[in-house]
Amino acid sequence: MSVFLVIVLALCFTALLCTYRLISGPTLPDRIVAAQAITTKTLAILTLLAFMYEQMIFLDISLTYAVLAFLSVLAVARYLERGKVG
Amino acid sequence: MMTTVVIQTIARVVVPFLQLFGLYIIVHGPVSPGGGFQGGVIVGASMILLALSYDLSSAETKVSHKVRIAMDSTGALLFAGMGLLCLLVGGVFLEYGIIPLPMAPAEVRGLMILLVGVAIGIHIMALAASLFLHLAEEHDT
Repeated sequence: MSVFLVIVLALCFTALLCTYRLISGPTLPDRIVAAQAITTKTLAILTLLAFMYEQMIFLDISLTYAVLAFLSVLAVARYLERGKVG
Repeated sequence: MMTTVVIQTIARVVVPFLQLFGLYIIVHGPVSPGGGFQGGVIVGASMILLALSYDLSSAETKVSHKVRIAMDSTGALLFAGMGLLCLLVGGVFLEYGIIPLPMAPAEVRGLMILLVGVAIGIHIMALAASLFLHLAEEHDT
């Protein structure tokens, strides 16, 4: 059991903790921050898996994931600020 | 109302790289995960990023409605045309191997998969930007 696998499992566990905040978060900003934290953890997991299995193609997927996560959080932030997107 | 200078600067720096990355995904469609649809969505997302970080009209000036309609129709026409080309030379729809080019059938299939991926990419990159821009305009009352 390599050290990377331990880190991946630990990140998965902390992502589960964030899922609790995502489901039971009292307000919308709580949920957004929880979703963003899960996204960041997923990015780290994907990058670690790419290194573990030596599949550098996973890096493309994590890059795409990062871009779309940035877009989504920007859209939700603008919606919260103005009540509409755009 | 415009967003802060941080978001605008990040968008201005990121958008060209995002489009380059989308084109890379489209062109590497036959040999790696991804393809026309995924790369087209990423190129369309760059226009959505522009619309979110500046405003809708700045994205509209970059890719106007007419340009988007033209790209949309061109992509669909290219895709259907390449499918019908296989019908013309006696195969079934999208049967690439039968096209008489001076190459091995496997190479012809690889080339045609690339070309179909480019056609789908052109179609989807206009469609993804259009979906966001039109939906955001509707609520602008």
